[in-house]
Formats: sequence, structure tokens, C-alpha cells
Amino acid sequence: MHRFLFFFVSLFLTPAAWAQPVTFGASVQLTGPVANTGRYYKDAYEFAVEKINAAGGIKIGSAHQKIALKILDNQSDVNLSVRQYVQLLAQDKVNFLLGPFASNFVLADSSIAEKSRVPMVQGGGASDQIYSRGYQYIFGTLPAASNYFGSTIEAMTKLNPRPQTVALLYADDSFDVSVAKGTRELLKKAGLKTVIDERYSTNASDFSVLLSRIKSENADAVLVAGHETEVLNFIRQAKSLDVSPKLYSFTVGVPSADFRHALGKDANGASGMTAWLPSATLKDQWFGDAEEFARAWKTKFGYEPDYHAASGVATVEALVNAIQAAGSTDPQKVRDALAKVSFDSLYGRVAFDDKGQISLPQIMVQIQNDEVVPIYAGKDFINKLQYPLAPWSKR
Amino acid sequence: MKSTAWGIVLAVIIALLAALPWIGNTVLVQFGINVLLLATLAQGWNIIGGYTGYPSFGNSVFYGLGAYGVAIAMVQCHLPFWVGMLLGLGLGVVFAGLLGLAVLRLKGHYFAICTLGLALVMTAIVSNLEIAGGNIGLVLPLLRSEVLFYELALGLLVLATLTIFWLSRSRFGLGLIAIRENEEGAAVMGVNTTLYKVLAFMLSAAFTALAGGIYAYYITFIDPVGVFDIGLNVKMIIMAVFGGPGSVLGPVVGAFILSAISEVLATKVTSIASMFFGIVIVIAVVFMPRGIAHLVQHIKRMGWGYFFDNVRTHRL
Amino acid sequence: MELLFQVLVSGILLGGLYALMALGLALVWGVLNIVNLSHGALIMLGAYVTYFLVTGAHIDPFAALPIAAAVLFAIGYLIQRGVLNLVIRGPMFNTLLITFGIEVVLTYLAQSWFSADFRTINPGYAGSNYTVGAITIPYVQVLVFVIAIGLTVAMWLLLLHTRTGRGIRAAAQNLVAARLYGVSPKSVYALTFGLGAALAGVAGGLYGTVSQINPYIGGPLTAKSFVIAIIGGLDNPLWVIVGGLFLGSIESLTALYIGSTYRDVASFGILVLILIVRPSGLLGRTT
Repeated sequence: MHRFLFFFVSLFLTPAAWAQPVTFGASVQLTGPVANTGRYYKDAYEFAVEKINAAGGIKIGSAHQKIALKILDNQSDVNLSVRQYVQLLAQDKVNFLLGPFASNFVLADSSIAEKSRVPMVQGGGASDQIYSRGYQYIFGTLPAASNYFGSTIEAMTKLNPRPQTVALLYADDSFDVSVAKGTRELLKKAGLKTVIDERYSTNASDFSVLLSRIKSENADAVLVAGHETEVLNFIRQAKSLDVSPKLYSFTVGVPSADFRHALGKDANGASGMTAWLPSATLKDQWFGDAEEFARAWKTKFGYEPDYHAASGVATVEALVNAIQAAGSTDPQKVRDALAKVSFDSLYGRVAFDDKGQISLPQIMVQIQNDEVVPIYAGKDFINKLQYPLAPWSKR
Repeated sequence: MKSTAWGIVLAVIIALLAALPWIGNTVLVQFGINVLLLATLAQGWNIIGGYTGYPSFGNSVFYGLGAYGVAIAMVQCHLPFWVGMLLGLGLGVVFAGLLGLAVLRLKGHYFAICTLGLALVMTAIVSNLEIAGGNIGLVLPLLRSEVLFYELALGLLVLATLTIFWLSRSRFGLGLIAIRENEEGAAVMGVNTTLYKVLAFMLSAAFTALAGGIYAYYITFIDPVGVFDIGLNVKMIIMAVFGGPGSVLGPVVGAFILSAISEVLATKVTSIASMFFGIVIVIAVVFMPRGIAHLVQHIKRMGWGYFFDNVRTHRL
Repeated sequence: MELLFQVLVSGILLGGLYALMALGLALVWGVLNIVNLSHGALIMLGAYVTYFLVTGAHIDPFAALPIAAAVLFAIGYLIQRGVLNLVIRGPMFNTLLITFGIEVVLTYLAQSWFSADFRTINPGYAGSNYTVGAITIPYVQVLVFVIAIGLTVAMWLLLLHTRTGRGIRAAAQNLVAARLYGVSPKSVYALTFGLGAALAGVAGGLYGTVSQINPYIGGPLTAKSFVIAIIGGLDNPLWVIVGGLFLGSIESLTALYIGSTYRDVASFGILVLILIVRPSGLLGRTT
């Protein structure tokens, strides 16, 4: 009798209850120079895992498994992040990898994933270099760097009066060089004349020479591909040197709340782009929709999310979707499933091309009256662009 | 301990280290590669900084040249790894020779600052070179063999240490020590100081460049900021100084101990890890400026007084 | 032509700030023979102190500068008396290492207290400018320039014409003799280092008005200060001004005619060349 009871009870104590959680591992910049943006990813991973676990976890076959998350701080040091990824795989025995922020980190860290044949889905790197190595195990949710200014340039061709001359400035890191390469092609195709095409050193703090050249050449539109701190300096120095092009657009900063906060009124008029806006039309299996997500994020973390956050969440959701589709946690099977995923999320439609990169259009935005206003997406203007920008003295 | 006994002990240790990939796990091998390369760098610095007394902040230049030699050869010219290593070695040694002639005329901290400037200039120049991939760096082909890198790094460290052992017993080495203690005196005694200094610099560069080459292939991605990193140079100095500059095994011991502690901190108490090196330097420089090797020799005689004696001699 | 003048003006204004940054380093190096690798970290701390005074107590940044200077003076004094005095009679190299260690610690502390977020000091009049012909001159940069030059001249007067200054110079030239004349070395050394730190603090506050502040700005600023100190020589504060202006102009001209990414090649290339060709500095004695 006891044996029978024991056997009966043991049936209920098998796989589902004793299921090992599926573990995701990541090495993120929580301290150090890039921690400012790194924290978006940590919070995104944690929030997504929390929500998915609350809804029951990952459905593998007939069992539901929770997700465990292991995040390490790489102190914004690339070498440390590489060692941490090895540690996550070999010591912590994580099942799958999530990425760090920034293309140069992704470039180094993804080699570990590729060497170990474990899928890594990253939402922090967009440079061409990442996807031109023929790696099979790396997938990314940031769209191609070369197309960042796509919607902006298209909008420019439809403005009246059309900008005659364009200045293109870019930092010398992987991502921004990729952006510049693509932008040059786009500008040529659009028939816009480039009068300044200049690379500057990452972390440059003095833009007076470049700004003086922009003024002297009378560039109508200025496109800058760089980092937040550089863009910040650029705008402030543009004001103090009285350089006001008719339009200026930046690859970073504009969609982020702390950027607008740092500049105050001077942020108005700056254009930028984002692959993501917290719109209610982006439905999500776990968060409802992007607008709900944005509100929940603000309540939980105390700051507003931007596309980094949404991208981070999308990577977690992509892995979960792939594991469910593959019906197993076998790295090879999940990798193959990742190559084929296609689902809607708060970030938009998640699907990867044959190189592993997502394809999402950038929405042109502009800061107007301290708010981020979507300007142009697809083929039309959503709102009116403030153009041409008034000179600084008159703002 | 007799030298043959020492020799056997060391041989056993080396054999154990060589067997690590089979008795340890991946994390240990990874850690091992990093420590072995760092120890090699510390030994390389030891030659010019420890024995010759010229504290170089420019060894990161040779490290970077070694790394770029391998990267350019493999990526731009599609040549095999060992050709890249030769190229990196060549670049490092030639640079050391030419720069050495110009820069080794400077004394003490001027030499240090000039070499610091050199590291900064190299970073800036290389980030503008197309063949080196500019500031975005180069991506090397992927090789799935940690064991190879580990054994190469171990082999390089053994070679470097054997070289220093030879150095410590040779005329050349004695000449270097003479230069360190009293350069003018050494010149008067007939030591060709310029030749000896430049050779020491080139030897130091050789090991540093080779280490850089292994690193490049191992990490598969290099960029100027990463490989010409001054922080790395300071690390190799700290390890050499902590372990005992001018000794044969000091820098290796220093590298192993400091790396182990740093690694433990980085995984367990992450936030303090970055401050760790700072505090170690301050304490070590105040209480044991001659390194562990000197400490071990004198602590038997002086006990705790060793530390206070150091402070007494050097404070105002 | 106008472009060239505009660029030169910008370069010279920048150079004034550079000169002030280098001044503290040159003072400590020339007098105490301490090469302070943590100099940039002190500038960074000065910037933060100014920032918090401006945002917390709502004072004008330029009014906050003296307070920042006082705070940094205290920090510098303590560092010298507490740490550096312990190694100062040892090999030069040790002070180099120990100041590097201090830099790492200060950067870490700044990052854990203030976070890695970047801050800016943005007084209401930040964007205003004067126009002279076709040249635009930003108001804040002129103020920074004036203060930088003013402080440098004040330093020169202090060192050459006051009792304290003479005491400092005496200690630099011959410590034993200075002792015999009643100069207390511990105090003089700590005072000098404190002064150097105070200057760094003011430079930091000014830097925060023209660029932005985060815990990692120290390193590059130390490097720049080195270049200027070497160019100007360690003898006389006035030459440091020349060094700063020279570097500012060279950087801007390089950016204009060769390319923005060549700035560092120019600045550090100059450092290396000067040391190789004329170790005593371009303009003065450095040994």
C-alpha cells in the first residue's frame, strides 16, 4: 500500500515541479562610462523575465519552466565582459545569452557565444561589422546602422524649401562609421549635396572647429552620428557660437529623457530617430501594448524607457519564442528556431534576416516644446516638422 | 635551496600548468590565459624597468604593435597566424630599436612621461590608419581552440622567464644592473650604455609584442583604444613592482597573486574590484616598494619592522 | 580667412582653460618633484563640487569657484600630508605609481557617489556671445579665459613676491637650507600640493561650464596638462599660459587643416618630440 502511494505521489513530483529553470546570462555595463545606457538593458531583462515568469514562464512541451536571470557588471570594460561571458557559460552554466550595450562590446562578446555554439540575442549593437562575419549564433534587435538616417533623408527631400547642402559628422567608432557609410549612399541617391563629411574622435569635447566650418559653408542640414555626450556638447557649443542650421539630426540622445533634461530649452528643435515609440498599436503578449509597457516601466524604475529598453525586452521575448517553437533548450535547435521567429511585440515585429539582424524602419522624431514628437515614418509626415529652425537669438 | 632542487620544483609546476586544460574547467583555462599573458607582460617590463631602471610606460605600444601585426597579416593579407606573429614581433622590435635610440637618453620620470606620450600618440595614429581598420579595429577569424592559446601563452611566459634567468647571470644583465644603479659609473667602467639600453628595450618589446599577438587572435577583435591601453601598461608595472622588479620570478608571482585577487573580486564583490588596484598600489608603494621578492628576503630578519622601516626611510 | 580667425579665437580661448588646468600640475611638479597622475581626477572633483553648489545651493558657477577651490585645497593638503609625504623621499617612480593609485581610487569614489551620469553646469547666460566683425565669441569662454589668465598671474605674483611663495620656492631649490631658515617642509609641501589641487578645482569648475562632467574625464585631462606643462616648462607660471595657448591653437589648426581625428596625434606628438629634442622643455627649465 505504502509503495503504491509513494509511486503515485512521485508521479506528481516529477518533471514539472522539479524542472530546472532556463537560465539567461548577460554581462552588462552597470558601472563605468557607459553605465548610463547599460542600465536600460539590465532593467529591461529583469522586467521582461519577471513578466514572463508571472504569466507562467516558458512552455516547453507540456511543462512550464521559469526563467532565471544572471546579470554581471562588466564595469564598461570590454575585456572583463568577454571573461564574464565565458564564466556565465562554463561556471554558471547558463542556457542562453543576452547581449551587452554598444557595438564594440557585442563584437568581442559575440565571439564567445559563437565559439561555444550558444545563441546570443543582443539588443545593443547595430554596426555592420557584427553581421558581416558569417556568425551563426548571433541575433540582434537593433536595425541596420546604415539606415539610421533613412527616414530623415526621405523627409528632407519632401521639405519646402529643400535643404541644398548637408554636413555629415560622425564619431570614429564601429557603429557611427557604419551609419556614415550608409548615410553617404542615401544622400547621394536623394541628390543632396554634401559639403562637409568629417570624422571626429570619440569622446571629443570641442566642436568649435567643426561648427565654424558648418557656419562658414552655410550648411542647411547637419547630420551627426555620435554619442550622447558628444551630441550634448555639440548643441551647447552650437548655441554659444551662434550656429543654427535649418535642420539638425542626431543618431542618439533625442529620444532619451535625461538628454532633454540636460539641455532644457536648448533641446527644442533637435531631430533624431528611434525604431520605437511607446504607441498603443504595438501589441505584446506579456505587456499588453507599448504604451502600457512605458507606463509600467516608469512606475517601476522611475525613469522613462526608450528604444534601448524596448530592444532589451525584445531580445528576451525572442529567446522565449524560439525556445517554445523549438520545444527544447538544446542550443542548436533554439538557434534554428531563432532564425525563423516572427512575432509581434511591444518593440514591433521581431524577425531576423539571414545575417541575424532585425529589420525595422527608423521613425524621424523632433523635440518640440520639450516633448518627443514623431515626424516622419513610412512614406508620410505624421506631424509637422519645425523647419527651418530659427536662429538661436530668436528662440 | 639548491638550484637543482629549485629547478625540479619549477619543472613540476610548469608541467602542472601545462596540464591545466585537461584537469581544470574552461573558466580556469580562460583565467589562465589572461594571467599567463599578464605575467609575460610583467616580465617584459621587468627587463627594461626592473633590471635597467628605465620605467617604461610605452610597453603597451609594443603590445599593440604585436596585436596589430597579427591582425593585419591575418585579416588584410590573409596570411597564417605564425606569419602574423613574426610581423608583430618585427614591428615591436624595430620600433623599440628606433624609438629607444631617441627616448632612452631621457632620465627617470622624463622617460616615463615620454613613453606615456608615445602610447597616446600611437593610439591616435593607428586610429587614423585605414589598413589597421581605423578606430573601429579589426575582426580576426575565429579559432575554437582555447588549449592552443593557453599553451602558447604558457610557453611564452616560460621563455621570457628563462631569458631573464639567463640575463641575471650574464654580462649583459650585470651591465643593465650597473646602468640602473649608476649609469655614469657604468659608462666610465666601459659599459656601452646606449647599446645595452636599446637592446634591453628591444628584448622587452619582443616578449610584449608576442603576447599582444596571441591576445589578438584569442580575443578575435582589437581596436586602438583596447590594445594601446595605458591602464594595461600600469597593470604590468604594478605586477612587476609588487612582485619584485629586478628579480627573476618576482613579476610572475606578482601577476599571479594580483590577478587571482582581482578575478575573485570581480566576480564576487564587483563594485570594489575597480578600486582594488588603486588601493593595492598605494599600500604596496608605501609599505613594500621593493616588491614581494625583497619582502621575502628581508622579512625573516626584520619581521613587521620591515614595513615600518620602508616608511621611515622614504617619508618626509 | 574668417574661418581661420574664428578657429584661432576658439583655440586661444580653449587654450586659456588648458593653461589653468596645467598650472596646478606644473606647480607641484616643479616645486615638489611630484608627477601627479591624479591631477585630472582633482579637476574632475572640482567640477563636481561646483556642479553640486550650483544645482544644490543655486549659486552662480563663477561664485562657486572659490568654494570649490577651498574644498580641493583641503583634499590636496590631506592627500599630501597623509599619503604622499610617506613616499616622497623614495624613488621618483614611486610617487608616479602612488598618484596613479590615488587616481583610480578617486575615480571609483566619484562613480559610486555621483553615478556615471554626465552632468553639465549650464548657467542661464551660457549660450550668449559677442560678435566682433564676423567672429562669434562665446561669453562664457571669455570669462573662463579671463579667470584662467588672472589666476595664473596671481600664482606668479604669489610665488615671486610673497613670503609664502618664497618659502615654497626655497623648499623646492634646497630643502636642507630652507629648513635652516625655518621653513617647515611638511607644511610647505602640503600647502603646495593643496594649492595645486585648488587650481585644479577651479579649472574643473570652469571645465564643467564648457563641457560635461562624469567620473572619467580625469585621465585625458591629466594627459593634456602634461603636454602643456612640458611645453611651458616648470619654471614660471607665465610660460604655462603660453604653453596652453600654443596647444589650444595647434589643436584647432590641426582639426581645421588635417582633420578632427588628428588632434591627439598633434598634441601628444608635440609632447614626445619636445621631450626627445629638448628635455628641458620648450620654454623653460624642467629638470
